Amino acid sequence: MKKILIQTLFFISFCIFIFPKNASAKEDQCYVCHSTLGGKPAELFKNDIHYKKGISCADCHGGDNQTDDMDKAMSKSAGFKGVPKGDNITAACVRCHADSAMMAKYGAKIPTNQFELLKGSVHGKLSIDGTERIVQCITCHNAHGIVMVDNPASPVYPLNIPQTCGKCHSNAVYMRSYNPALPVDQLQKYRTSVHGMRNAKGDPKPAQCESCHGSHGILSVKDVRSSVYPTNIPGTCSKCHSNKQYMAQYKIPTDQYANYSKSVHGIALLQKHDLGAPACNSCHGNHAATPPGIESISEVCGTCHALNAELFSKSPHKKAFDEKKLPECETCHSNHDIVTATDKLLGVTPNAVCSKCHQEDKDPKGYMEAKTMRQLIDSLESSEKSALALVNEAEQKGMEVNEELFKLRDARQARLESRTMVHAFNLDKFKATVDKGLKVTSTVTSEAKAAIHEYYFRRIGLGISVVIISFLALVLYLYIKRIEKRKEES
Amino acid sequence: MNYSNEKPVRKTRRDFLKYLLMGGIAGLVISIFYPIISYLKPPKQNEVEVSSVKVGKLSEIEKDSGRIIRFGNKPVILLRTKTGELKALSAVCTHLNCTVQFRKDLELIWCACHNGKYDLNGRNISGPPPRPLEPYRVVVKGDEVFVSKLT
Amino acid sequence: MKSFWKNLYGWIDERVQLEDLVKFMGKKYVPVHRNSIWYYFGGVSLFLFIIQVVTGIMLLFYYKGSSDLAFESVQFIMSKVQFGWLVRSIHAWSANLFILSIFIHMFSVYFEKAYRKPREMTWITGMLMFFMALGFGFSGYLLPWNELSFFATKVGSDIAGQIPWIGEPIKEFIRGGDDVTGATLSRLFGFHVALLPGIFTIILGIHLILIQRQGISEPLHLEKSSSKEKRTMPFFPNFMLRDLLLWLLVLNVLAILAVFFPADLGHKADPFSAAPAGIKPEWYFLFMFQSLKYFPAYILSIEGELVGILLFSAAAILWLLVPFWDRKSSRGEHNRFINYAGLFAVIFIIILTILGWTS
Repeated sequence: MKKILIQTLFFISFCIFIFPKNASAKEDQCYVCHSTLGGKPAELFKNDIHYKKGISCADCHGGDNQTDDMDKAMSKSAGFKGVPKGDNITAACVRCHADSAMMAKYGAKIPTNQFELLKGSVHGKLSIDGTERIVQCITCHNAHGIVMVDNPASPVYPLNIPQTCGKCHSNAVYMRSYNPALPVDQLQKYRTSVHGMRNAKGDPKPAQCESCHGSHGILSVKDVRSSVYPTNIPGTCSKCHSNKQYMAQYKIPTDQYANYSKSVHGIALLQKHDLGAPACNSCHGNHAATPPGIESISEVCGTCHALNAELFSKSPHKKAFDEKKLPECETCHSNHDIVTATDKLLGVTPNAVCSKCHQEDKDPKGYMEAKTMRQLIDSLESSEKSALALVNEAEQKGMEVNEELFKLRDARQARLESRTMVHAFNLDKFKATVDKGLKVTSTVTSEAKAAIHEYYFRRIGLGISVVIISFLALVLYLYIKRIEKRKEES
Repeated sequence: MNYSNEKPVRKTRRDFLKYLLMGGIAGLVISIFYPIISYLKPPKQNEVEVSSVKVGKLSEIEKDSGRIIRFGNKPVILLRTKTGELKALSAVCTHLNCTVQFRKDLELIWCACHNGKYDLNGRNISGPPPRPLEPYRVVVKGDEVFVSKLT
Repeated sequence: MKSFWKNLYGWIDERVQLEDLVKFMGKKYVPVHRNSIWYYFGGVSLFLFIIQVVTGIMLLFYYKGSSDLAFESVQFIMSKVQFGWLVRSIHAWSANLFILSIFIHMFSVYFEKAYRKPREMTWITGMLMFFMALGFGFSGYLLPWNELSFFATKVGSDIAGQIPWIGEPIKEFIRGGDDVTGATLSRLFGFHVALLPGIFTIILGIHLILIQRQGISEPLHLEKSSSKEKRTMPFFPNFMLRDLLLWLLVLNVLAILAVFFPADLGHKADPFSAAPAGIKPEWYFLFMFQSLKYFPAYILSIEGELVGILLFSAAAILWLLVPFWDRKSSRGEHNRFINYAGLFAVIFIIILTILGWTS
């Protein structure tokens, strides 16, 4: 009972608030005149959502929309503002669109923070003449034919966004006046990407400018808060690419982000904030985002891992992999869930990758080479470990070992170099690198052993001194005894 | 009492004991003075090198070359440019601590681990390194080259 | 060979009348009795002091006394200088044995009441040297500039600072400022190698001259006996040779300790880090440090620690002046009270040192 009463009261007050405007309001005289006069604005306004909601021209332009007398309607005393210029345009929109009560009145479910976001964004900065912001609401949304974002006629409908942004961002002369270093080929590149090609074909789901850069609060790539700042990129991409339902029709995996965040690169970028580590765009490109082709994977990885890529490209594996259509680096190292390559990856043990192709029965030579390489690097690691243990023992015994610790750096360096040298897939070159390291560890081992030996040698020296002193003490004692005996006898 | 017999025996025994005593004293003196003399002889590295390291002769460092030297327990790269200028920088890469090297062909300092590049002033110009290499001071006294910390 | 020494002796004798001195020395006798063994500890202390001076001078050749080089120079001595480890380890062990030896020497003199008339000045000079030896230990301990020594110095000078009125100036004087810094190191280095050795040598000279002049003291119970009943031994050559024999054995012990328990270095002092847990001073300060911990926070509105410090200071002053208030011993009577007081002191020191070490 109570519930029904409240609902009825609500309905009545709703009607009182809403309907009088429409019921008792007379027609919008501005529109009446201007639609008869002709002219684009009125024609566009016919389809405008504001018109459909009963908002009149006067609500933005001011003036009296009840009189058909032009002078009265468009007089300053009636509040006529004319065509707003500069920031006044946005101010006119903001008057309602930042007012949540007002938006609720019209049953709008859109956010009300657009202006706040715009103010803090790159576009909210002053234009080159210093009189207004770079962008006004109408720059992207149009002035008179504004429709909802999900309406294909809207310039900010997903299929239209690239052109809308490209209006300025592909204009080299225009962009030059703001940031000469900023590229202007994003749209061109975008059209070559998977996202861009599908977008061109009429699919609104793939990413377009707004998906990654945002709409109102667009920030510079160098801004830590930006959705396209390197540490934020994986999250931005995964918004779609980790969403199984969203990606269902495209039949590509959705585990990339999960794998990436576990990987060496993911941990480096996302947890350690190492900006040198690659994000999605480092390997896939920004606007021309496409997974690298099979033959170009080593080039892509090679932008950082230069030596490995160069060695690989010169090795027999390059031709073999390309012919077999095996994705180069990815075959052994995986693409997204790349883990720290340890020595365990090399060789013929269960976890190693070599024996997956070089099986013992089918390719005994390759199998042996892989096995040998693994043995070599294992021997380097163990000799490094034992050298370090000896150095620590010497240090504990009080010997100074800074020089030996320094030399061990070279051993570590040799191990890193041999892991790189693996990619030449050449046993002789590999052995040469490992031998360099083994030479260092054997030097350090012998030096550490010498230090420990010195420690024990001291005890021998002590033994000799103790013998001498004790001998002298004994002789002195006998001498004293003799002196005193003589004294007694005399 | 037969003095004539006892005295000679005692005399030899006395002399023997005295010889032993002299020998013992000599042994003691040697085992004390040998360490003292060795101690006072200057060791190969003349004095404790904490803030400055002697690298070698200027005439032995080629132009347009670079080498790694040990400073305490850290590596430092010593460069001599084409014009003969000497520079010393920390050789620990600011990305993930690998040891950098001088690349004559690229005319810069290179890190093999992730292709990081620094110019000859240590500034990080390409690749992952986030910071420049720390500079050290180079002083030339006569023909000897010394590297020391900057502060 | 023998004639060479004889000629040399004659040459010197002609110029400084050595013969008189030799005759004088030849007349020196040392009483022989049940407690004669304690007589050796003076000589052992002297021997250890000489070792300290010699090894100390050797260390001076390589040690650098500024806060950025001190630790590294000691490391240099331990690892790069030939036998450097030996010289430093002997210096460190000999310091400990020296202080142990002077404790024994002091207590044996005390219990024998050898401080009584006419030997009051010998006692005073000896006590002054005792306090200076503790100063040697305190100042020398900081010189390696490692973690332990830095904080031990900090704590020690903090305690000194608590003495009323003169404490703060004393603390600043020791530290060379408000905190323990490189200035403290320079200052204590100056104390350790110049000021203290200079004063100590002078006082030691007086102490030895007094002993030579007055001879070795006899125990009280022997004073009354006639000279015929007293057993003695000549200082030269008997006592001296026995002394030397003991010195050789001490040298042996030092060498063994230096090799099997070489001096530790640890980590360089870092003024900004926190003090390591369980920081405690060297063993010869331990009994005072430990007993201060047992004092309650406040005693009659005075800070407990302060009461402790004042008590120790009072005890030290009384101890120093014992020849003047122990009237009985000067008269030749036995003084039970002195014995009990001394026994209490020995037991107190031993127990509190053990407590301090094991806590």
